[in-house]
Amino acid sequence: MNLLLRYIPLSLLVLLLWVLLRRRAQQVCPWFFVYVAFGVVADMVRLAVRLLVPLNADVYYATYWISEAGYDVLGMLVMYEVLRAVLGNLTRAWWSRLIFPAVFILGVSLSLARARAVPPQVGGILAYIVVGEIAVRLVQVIVFAGLVTSVPLLGLRWRQYPFGIAAGFGIFSTVALLMTTKFSDFGTSFKLLFGWTLLVAYSVAVLIWIWFFSSPQKAETPNPDVSAPSPGVLKQYLDVLRRMR
Amino acid sequence: MLSLVLTWLIVAWGALACIYLLYRAWTRFPRRDLDDVVHFLYPVDLSLAESLLDPAEDFSLRWSLSPRAYREAQRRRMRLYLELVRRMAHNSVVLVEFGNAACAGEKLEAAVVSELQQAAIKVRLYSTFARLNLRIRLLLPSGAFGVIPLPDLPRMRKVADLDGPKTYDELRTAAAAAFMQLQPGDLEGLTRNL
Repeated sequence: MNLLLRYIPLSLLVLLLWVLLRRRAQQVCPWFFVYVAFGVVADMVRLAVRLLVPLNADVYYATYWISEAGYDVLGMLVMYEVLRAVLGNLTRAWWSRLIFPAVFILGVSLSLARARAVPPQVGGILAYIVVGEIAVRLVQVIVFAGLVTSVPLLGLRWRQYPFGIAAGFGIFSTVALLMTTKFSDFGTSFKLLFGWTLLVAYSVAVLIWIWFFSSPQKAETPNPDVSAPSPGVLKQYLDVLRRMR
Repeated sequence: MLSLVLTWLIVAWGALACIYLLYRAWTRFPRRDLDDVVHFLYPVDLSLAESLLDPAEDFSLRWSLSPRAYREAQRRRMRLYLELVRRMAHNSVVLVEFGNAACAGEKLEAAVVSELQQAAIKVRLYSTFARLNLRIRLLLPSGAFGVIPLPDLPRMRKVADLDGPKTYDELRTAAAAAFMQLQPGDLEGLTRNL
């Protein structure tokens, strides 16, 4: 695959990082910000290793797998952050705190069961990274599909940063899981199409994130600079409430 | 085998979510105009809901009626409460759409919309679980309660850790705050219809 095309997501990630910095997203969704920053650094290191030590495959191999493990951990933390943000107002209900652990356990169990049925082609610690990667993809799809399902059910607002994050991850992970399953069905002849599809899906995910973060999210906490309502407005407000009861 | 089926189901769910997302992006238009929100609301009598959920009322019915008459009365009260919960759920959807439309047009403060949305989500959650619970109980034939003990309605006050009348009252307060900012002229209608 053309090296230039292969690093299109990197340029999009750099653009996304700039948009995130402009929107001060590190204060709203810190783990997602860390994920994107990590993605930029990891891709740059991979590119540098590829260009500077082209003959030493081991260095690239190590860099690739270490960064993949980083993606796994951060991907899971971002999903935790997304769920916590969306279910924030339900934290007083005891069962809402069980949603993420339940999704996490389901994702890991299914990934382990899949690894037993279709063993990864790598061994040792790399096998655990592959299992972790599939578990993260499953968690991302469940969170995304769950949120999309809850929109018509609960009437949630679309244009929120957590939805954008979940949508990007969800679309990419759905495609990645579909391709992973097909890859194991068709074997290595499917490799080129697999690579291209994942590249396009990841680029689409990054574009979704850029689009969501391109407009500022309205502050949900009251602005302290805004003055309190006048006694007249307050009286009118209390009258309305009294009539309602 | 089960794990593979589950994995495929999750992937299919994700694919359906992607299609739904595309559909929503394609057909984005406000379902309700800001001006006609009040006309879409169904009045909810909270004092009636309170009386249906009142343990003293329940106890007095149980005391004064024969078991058969009590079962009939309880089924009627359950149907009535189901209707109230259905209206609560409908109103919460209408108000969320109102909040979203107002927020998209930059007409309302985000804090007010957020308050309205959170209150509406609680009402939706409560009404979803309460309706499911009531429907299952109403599906059972009246005679079944001779064997299975008849559930008391006061227990329906708290479902999924949410107090029904209280959450709806919070929604009304949030809606009043939003209307105060946007359509003070329609407050009278909101008071009547919510």
